[in-house]
Amino acid sequence: MTSPLMIEASGVEKWYPNGFHALRGAELEVRQGEVVVIMGPSGSGKSTFIRTFNGLEDFQKGSITIDGITLSDDIRNIDAIRREVGMVFQQFNLFPHLTVLENLTLAPVLVRKRPKAEVQRQALELLERVGIHEQAGKYPGQLSGGQQQRVAIARSLCMEPRIMLFDEPTSALDPEMVQEVLAVMQELARDGMTMVVVTHEVRFARQVASRVVLMADGVVVEQAPPEQFFTNPSHERSRQFLRQIA
Amino acid sequence: MTISFQRLRRELFATPLDGLISLVLIGVLLAAGSAFLKWMLFQAQWTVIQANSTLFALGRYPIDQQWRLWLLTTLLALATGTTWGLLRSGSTPRWPRNDLVAAVLLIALASAGTWALQLPFPIQLRWWLISAGLLVCRGVAGRFGSSLPLAVRRGAAVVWPVLYLVGMVLISGGLGLMPVPPSEWGGLLLTLLQSSFAILLCFPLGVLLALGRRSELPLLRWGSVVYIEFIRGAPLITLLFLGQNILGFLLPGGLAPDRVWRAAWVLTFFAAAYVAEAVRSGLAAVPSGQLEAARSLGLPLPQALIHVVLPQALRVALPATVGQFITLLQDTTLLSLIGLLDLLGTARTVMANPEFLGKSAEVYLILAVLFWCCCAALGLGSRALETRLNTLHTPVKA
Amino acid sequence: MVALPDQAGTVTPWWRNRRLIPWLVQAAIGLVVLVVIAFLVGNLVRNLTAAGLLLSWGWLDNPSGFDIAETFLPFNAGLPYWRALLAGLVNTIRVVIAGLVGATLLGTLVGTASFSSNGLLRRLARVYVEVIRNIPLLLQLVFWYFVVFLSLPNGEQAIQLPGIVLAKSGLFLGRPELVNGVWQAPLRFTVEFGALLTGLVVYTAAFIAEVVRGGVASVPMGQWEAARSLGFSKLQTLKRIVLPQALRVIVPGLNSQYISLAKNSSLAVACGYTDLYSVAETTLNQTGRAVEVVLLLLGAYLVIDLVISALMNGLNHLVQIKER
Repeated sequence: MTSPLMIEASGVEKWYPNGFHALRGAELEVRQGEVVVIMGPSGSGKSTFIRTFNGLEDFQKGSITIDGITLSDDIRNIDAIRREVGMVFQQFNLFPHLTVLENLTLAPVLVRKRPKAEVQRQALELLERVGIHEQAGKYPGQLSGGQQQRVAIARSLCMEPRIMLFDEPTSALDPEMVQEVLAVMQELARDGMTMVVVTHEVRFARQVASRVVLMADGVVVEQAPPEQFFTNPSHERSRQFLRQIA
Repeated sequence: MTISFQRLRRELFATPLDGLISLVLIGVLLAAGSAFLKWMLFQAQWTVIQANSTLFALGRYPIDQQWRLWLLTTLLALATGTTWGLLRSGSTPRWPRNDLVAAVLLIALASAGTWALQLPFPIQLRWWLISAGLLVCRGVAGRFGSSLPLAVRRGAAVVWPVLYLVGMVLISGGLGLMPVPPSEWGGLLLTLLQSSFAILLCFPLGVLLALGRRSELPLLRWGSVVYIEFIRGAPLITLLFLGQNILGFLLPGGLAPDRVWRAAWVLTFFAAAYVAEAVRSGLAAVPSGQLEAARSLGLPLPQALIHVVLPQALRVALPATVGQFITLLQDTTLLSLIGLLDLLGTARTVMANPEFLGKSAEVYLILAVLFWCCCAALGLGSRALETRLNTLHTPVKA
Repeated sequence: MVALPDQAGTVTPWWRNRRLIPWLVQAAIGLVVLVVIAFLVGNLVRNLTAAGLLLSWGWLDNPSGFDIAETFLPFNAGLPYWRALLAGLVNTIRVVIAGLVGATLLGTLVGTASFSSNGLLRRLARVYVEVIRNIPLLLQLVFWYFVVFLSLPNGEQAIQLPGIVLAKSGLFLGRPELVNGVWQAPLRFTVEFGALLTGLVVYTAAFIAEVVRGGVASVPMGQWEAARSLGFSKLQTLKRIVLPQALRVIVPGLNSQYISLAKNSSLAVACGYTDLYSVAETTLNQTGRAVEVVLLLLGAYLVIDLVISALMNGLNHLVQIKER
């Protein structure tokens, strides 16, 4: 029996207010436990696409269903989806006026209405999992980039999401800190989290991804297991892309 | 000694032109300074202040009810001392240089000031006790504040709204106390009341306007724009004028609230527009990713604003907002032009008294010093608050 | 899987529809605002009718019955109200223009003084700004009027400089001569005008000094260093290199200070100077036409603000450096 469908996006089209056609019929299916890596040239719409999954971006045509809930105009749907989908941003977006621990506990206490002590315990466990246990009382400004991104991952995990989206999580990091973040993501994948990752990190894709997706000009051009994609892609566009990043 | 001579030479006489300027300036300063001192010590007659000190302070507040104001002043002093100490708790040294200066000034004011005003001894004693109480609270709070849990320290801020309500009851009456109508409030009491009322209310109103201004909903956005631009285009005196004369027509039967309250509301709505602009630039300084992160965690918009966006925006907007509060305090002087007896208005009635005709220089000088001290103190307080908030959260390039 | 009713295919109820909610919120707020306005306007009309003061403009032609102490245009008590208000407006414009010029000059001087090599000059500039900014303008105005200008000697003891006489009766320029104990000259300014102008200039200059200082400080140090290595003197650097760049930042700041000065001129009533507001106040006291007078006042100051802003925006375009 195949695992349940977590993300089902079909025919998604988006125009920006200035008329730019960002998504031209993008489609994607992600099953539970899969790690899907999305690659592509800049301007291909990869970030825009995954941001439609949790409602950060609107779309005009097509349909998206997350964990059985359709993304519609109903705010109940959107709120439910956001509780189940965690997002990690390129710019970390930690809350600078709260401590690391407070960053993690804010949403579970306010949104899931869980008791504070219980959330704090869980938060400390998560921080230990990503290796930042001692920094719990510090402010984000006092941490390095790699540490901040790991906190960001822990913050999303504290809401116990079923899907994690990563929007170029290591692009803003100094090279020596990229590995520590990728290691955390690798472990997450090993634990069975459903992940969609937009990244340029080829080695990560080869080691962790169940599938690599190439996007260009607002559509999905090719999907294939990493080994096949990187050694023998079917589309000319994919070959062009691989030549660019080689 | 050589060091300071070198420094003097470098700073004042670096070039021939500089030297000339320095000589001229020093000459002018010495001449003006000595003339001023001569006037202040020998020619000025300060009886006008001493004889009317109560009038300046309280206006025509009934004498037998003034004990209520003493009570309020004592409570305010204790609260100020405690808050001051809590803000400084955990700092080393325990009494930074600015605090020591402020404490010395306070003691000097309480002793020399009350003597200069020739207040009767029991009243002098009261001021000494109140100042001592303030400094004691400051000391105790500073010493033990850091050992209190963070929640208690943050919760201590709630004493101010409570105190404000208590103060309003004490001043205006009710709850068993004899009512004192606003027409009998005057002098410093009225000035402080008007400014504190307007400051407290214009802030939430300004925040709402700023949020509306940045909203995507056209009605909210254009409504806020129209309000803000209308207020900013009008001189305050015109709006006060409007409030005094037209408000009566806008309400049924021509009834209108007391003139004092009308002016207070006009000041509030006026300042709110300017605070809105300050908060707006604060909101613009918060990266859009913050709201996105909060929303993707599942936080609904109001909670995302309250817990994530506004705290950051208000920190950026703090200096400009306090600047508006200082301006508001200064703007209360305009109440004298519509016939209300604030500090300036009381001063002018005092000077109309034939006994004190021509003593305008003395009175205006004291008023100027008073306002300057209050505004400068607010400015210093804001900078201290800024520094404290910034040292906690300054991003460190790691 | 999270169980939820209303899955794909059903219609979203209106109260949860996120496209509809903003419009509902706006409609609700709009309705409340309309109701409040209707209530207020209704009362206004009713009360005005009862007092016989319904909105009209004909009364502007009635003779005013009061004198204006100082006017540029000729005026007497028999002339209609609209001429009185016009005289007041002209008075306001007079003091605003003079004030803008004076404040800009003084403010620029003080602002550049804070970069002087003379330590005393720098500190004096700082003290000036800090003192003036923390004392209310109205207090400063009454000080200038009652303490300084009204204490000026008169008659023969008036302060006499070549071509200028400063007396309690005014400032006389040209060839002032004493006629029967009264000074006369081709150009005369009253002490009221003088006090208001001095107060406005001194006050606004402190703020303009800060704007200028901020503008000059925004020019990178590298510009100064480069100019010095090219052999420019400090003054030349300031004039030709730094100031043009600083103006980009200064002009918008000046805009708000100029508008501030224009609005502050309405405090003229404290100095006894008959500006627009003061004439309007007298007009209202005599005619009771509160709504019309207030509308005229607000409109006039709004126009003045718009004119200043338009001029400053034009200036802004001139000083913006064209970037690629």
